[in-house]
Amino acid sequence: MVMVGCREERSSAEKAAAQGILVVGNNQEPLSLDPHKATAVADGKIISALLEGLVRPDARDEACIHPGMAERWEHDAEARVWTFYLREAFWSDGRPVTAQDFVYAYRRILHPEFAGKYAEMLYPLRNAAAYNKGECAWDAVGVSAPDARTLRLEMSGPTPHLLHLLLHFTWFPVPAHAVEAHGGMLDRRSLWARTGHWVGNGAYVLGCHRFNDRLEVVANARYWRAQEVRNRGVRFLPVVNGYTETRMFLDGKMHISNNVPPEMLAVAKARAPQAYCQDAYYCTIFYRLNTRRAPLDDVRVRRALSLAVNRESLVRDVVRGAGRPAYAFTPPGAGYALPAREILSREAAEQEARRLLAEAGFPGGKGFPTLELMTTSRDVQRVMAESLQAMWLKVLGIHVEIRSCEWTAYKAAQQNGDYDLSSSSWSGDFLDPATFVELWRSGGGNNCTGWGSSACDAALQAAASAATAEARLGYLAEAERLMLEAQPIIPLYWSERTYLKSPAVQGWYPLLLDNHPLDAVQLLMPRS
Amino acid sequence: MIRLLLKRLAQGLVVVFVLQSITFFLVRLLPGNPFLGERKLPEHVMAQLNSLYGLDQSALVQYGNYWKNLLLHGDFGPSLVREGVQVADIIAQAFPVSLELGVLGMLVAVLLGIPAGMFAAYRRNRWPDAFFMLMAMAGICIPSFVIAPLAGLSLGMHVPGLSVAGWDDPLCAVLPALTLGLVNAAYIARLTRGGMVEVLSADFIRTARAKGVRPMRLLFVHALRSGLLPAVSYLGPAFAALITGSFVVETCFQVPGMGLHFVNATTDRDYFLIQGLVFCYGVLIVLANLVVDLVLVALNPQLRSQGAA
Repeated sequence: MVMVGCREERSSAEKAAAQGILVVGNNQEPLSLDPHKATAVADGKIISALLEGLVRPDARDEACIHPGMAERWEHDAEARVWTFYLREAFWSDGRPVTAQDFVYAYRRILHPEFAGKYAEMLYPLRNAAAYNKGECAWDAVGVSAPDARTLRLEMSGPTPHLLHLLLHFTWFPVPAHAVEAHGGMLDRRSLWARTGHWVGNGAYVLGCHRFNDRLEVVANARYWRAQEVRNRGVRFLPVVNGYTETRMFLDGKMHISNNVPPEMLAVAKARAPQAYCQDAYYCTIFYRLNTRRAPLDDVRVRRALSLAVNRESLVRDVVRGAGRPAYAFTPPGAGYALPAREILSREAAEQEARRLLAEAGFPGGKGFPTLELMTTSRDVQRVMAESLQAMWLKVLGIHVEIRSCEWTAYKAAQQNGDYDLSSSSWSGDFLDPATFVELWRSGGGNNCTGWGSSACDAALQAAASAATAEARLGYLAEAERLMLEAQPIIPLYWSERTYLKSPAVQGWYPLLLDNHPLDAVQLLMPRS
Repeated sequence: MIRLLLKRLAQGLVVVFVLQSITFFLVRLLPGNPFLGERKLPEHVMAQLNSLYGLDQSALVQYGNYWKNLLLHGDFGPSLVREGVQVADIIAQAFPVSLELGVLGMLVAVLLGIPAGMFAAYRRNRWPDAFFMLMAMAGICIPSFVIAPLAGLSLGMHVPGLSVAGWDDPLCAVLPALTLGLVNAAYIARLTRGGMVEVLSADFIRTARAKGVRPMRLLFVHALRSGLLPAVSYLGPAFAALITGSFVVETCFQVPGMGLHFVNATTDRDYFLIQGLVFCYGVLIVLANLVVDLVLVALNPQLRSQGAA
């Protein structure tokens, strides 16, 4: 006890702050720091600290994009051909970053034998999809480096939003020399992205990594903006459990948590009112309806199910205010005007739902088969499913059974179309409505509802070749309107991020994509 | 004794082989695969990944390759989810953590459970017996996912030096070890009490009492040796389970041990990691049971004579 009493009373976060180390909750153990193998959001946050692409994000305004490895760029009138002029910058081992590193990186992720899981992110490049499927040679792909400091990207159509795409880690360069030194371009077991071998061009380099414990990155002295990096490093804690993470924050174990679960919102607000944050997030929570199966192949049934959902109650009572009721799919933002839809009053919506169900042949729910609602085993998903189950029973008189699956079984069933209704969520990879609306292309891999419409596909195609940014957004809105009319999904709410941030943290602002440049974050030193 | 040892080792090899084989085929029957992600992979990418790791071959061929790599090269294989990381590396990082926690947890369990069980047996049907057995029943009934957050909130946040979660300080082990220990202490207390009650009513104890042997000597010298037998049988598998980690305790206290990998590898379908973890668990169970058998033989003269016969 004497020993305990004599121990330093500063918390872990305060001790880290004194060393200039920012401690953040990062939701899960990173699976890979190789930008061509990573897919998880948690991995992306670390990779964005370790590598820098052609451009870099702003800490306050996501619409504002700064030069990164490219000091300037230009494009043709159609925004189809882009030329980037690279600055003099160096990898952490002192080798220069060249345009060939970008070409090497793009070739690697797209190489048919490499099996890049996120290769589709580069499909806007001319012939990238064909090369990825082994249907053409690399020379046909729209990537070239006329010299060491010039990178030319040719897109398959007008791409005015390319700069936003470039913020995603799949577009970052990799050190060709380091990858080659550790097994070569196609070696998926390469060690170049592991502690002790890491070479990067970002604000930080990889420090220690202990599975399920911590991953640390430390300031990169060779980073071209090294003088502007406002902390000495970042410690990522892979805390999966939101309850544990909230307790850790309240006990002074971290500066920024990742997520406060709905059940702990009241406690978090009461215990740490100055730390509590609730930010809009580019994420939609919705239910997929399997339109291949009766009676969900009838649009009237699908609309009845959607109208019967009381979204306001769902947001208020289930997610405790951590969201906004959604009547469309794409979250507001990025200058995108949501398709205008009439939102009925609660009574009118319920009446219309009953009318549609009766019209489909199930008056008062009579004769309606028992449908199965598939959810993951997460607490909030189960509670949400139970509340919708009750709403449908009360409003439509139909019974829906809940099937709670562990994550992989759930994804397998969803992707194979083995479900009636499936709880789902979708978060944007980049700040553009296309990251949401493109989901609903006929036969698209992530559509999973069996629904498709030639009119919607045509609108998406028109958006891909639209001459102006305004026209493009108009076509995307048209595609979304068509999808919402057919109702292969039930939008529920647009998620908001609830987390805790120490008042000592400066330079962290609400961002829709949650893609915070950590080098801009400063810690106020704890008082001694 | 050596014969018993060799016999048990041979049985252990069979157990580990069967365990590995059953696990190998069972995990492949689970829906999904290691490469499933939030977004659906194009078919050509999925095919390439399956081919790269040999998952496109028949289960029997994969099974043969697995044993070949394990026996000839001592290779557990790569993690299919954390590509570029070997299963052996993951286990090498996580096992020492679980071992430390397990040993501490077992110390707590033994130091609390055995004295409580002895005292309850000695004061049988009196209030100490009722009190300790009520506590033990509570320890068995209250799951660790309730004890862990309560310990974190009540002790971790208020006692200086203790930690609600994390693994960045030696004292971080206190609460998870206490949580693990309390649950096991409850079982050990009940088993010790049961064993001791039986022994304390035996004729040789009555004789010893009649001869005027003092209570402490009676308990510790005459009764304890036989009274501990049920608890010792339990200690082996319990110790193996403790040092291979507890998912609940590791999740609640953010401990980077084996328990988290055990459950996550299964939900992620990380086939080789599951095999590696099951292999470790199997070997530890076999070894722990072997040690228990030897201890039981040492404690129980009847078993010794059976072994000799």
